Amino acid sequence: MIPLIPLLILSPLILLAALGAVWNARPVHAALLLALALALTAGLYLTIGADFIGLVQFMVYVGAVAVLIVFSLLITRPGDEAEELARRPGAAVSGLACVLPVATVLLYAVSHTPDLSSGASESPTLPLQTLGKALFTDYAPAVLAVGVLLTAVMVGAVLFARDPDKKPPTPPGP
Amino acid sequence: MTPLALLLTVSSLLFTCGLFAVLTRRNAILILVGLELMLNAANINFIAFWRYGPPDPDLTGPLLVLFSIAIAAAEAAVGLAIILMVFRHTRSTDLNRLNSLHG
Repeated sequence: MIPLIPLLILSPLILLAALGAVWNARPVHAALLLALALALTAGLYLTIGADFIGLVQFMVYVGAVAVLIVFSLLITRPGDEAEELARRPGAAVSGLACVLPVATVLLYAVSHTPDLSSGASESPTLPLQTLGKALFTDYAPAVLAVGVLLTAVMVGAVLFARDPDKKPPTPPGP
Repeated sequence: MTPLALLLTVSSLLFTCGLFAVLTRRNAILILVGLELMLNAANINFIAFWRYGPPDPDLTGPLLVLFSIAIAAAEAAVGLAIILMVFRHTRSTDLNRLNSLHG
């Protein structure tokens, strides 16, 4: 019963922050609420024993992805929220019409999930040594593939985002 | 309610929120926000089944989450770079205005 209490506190907070991120008309506020939802999820991982995953989630999602999104919003300067508010009722109706069946199916599946916790130990924490060993033995090809992917992504993002019209700065003469 | 059912419910609702954002937002960057929420919901499922499912000495769930986080970060970087490129061409990130394939 004890481990359920932090979950019961964190879960509504995560959902509220996510709803704010989805529904806030100001783009920067929405991005900051996304950062809050991701940080609370990291807290959730920390409370249920997945410490390392929580820290990675905090560093990568909150530290990198959310900040990247906020910076992109600052660069692109989205328009004012009046237009967004004007088309909001229609969007809400059609969006809910699409989303409610999905939510119904998902929640139906969750309600029919059997209780699997009988065999689980009371408070497992993530054994970091096992995780590291697995990453660099069994999963080494996957780690290398992710490394290649990230390199390709970095090069691709620089190529996409750079301004083709702008001349590179000429190196200073001797 | 068991912890597993609670976490699965949270993850389902989070996924629904993300889907709603993807379907209703018109700003391309805010659609990426919805995508991140959906990926995050999937990660919560992995961790929930690792923690409250049958014992898993191989740590399949946390390992999958690690790779999923890395790929989500890569996806966000490329997505935002593409959005910046589109913004330079059209001076807008409103998807309703991006209705032609020609520059």
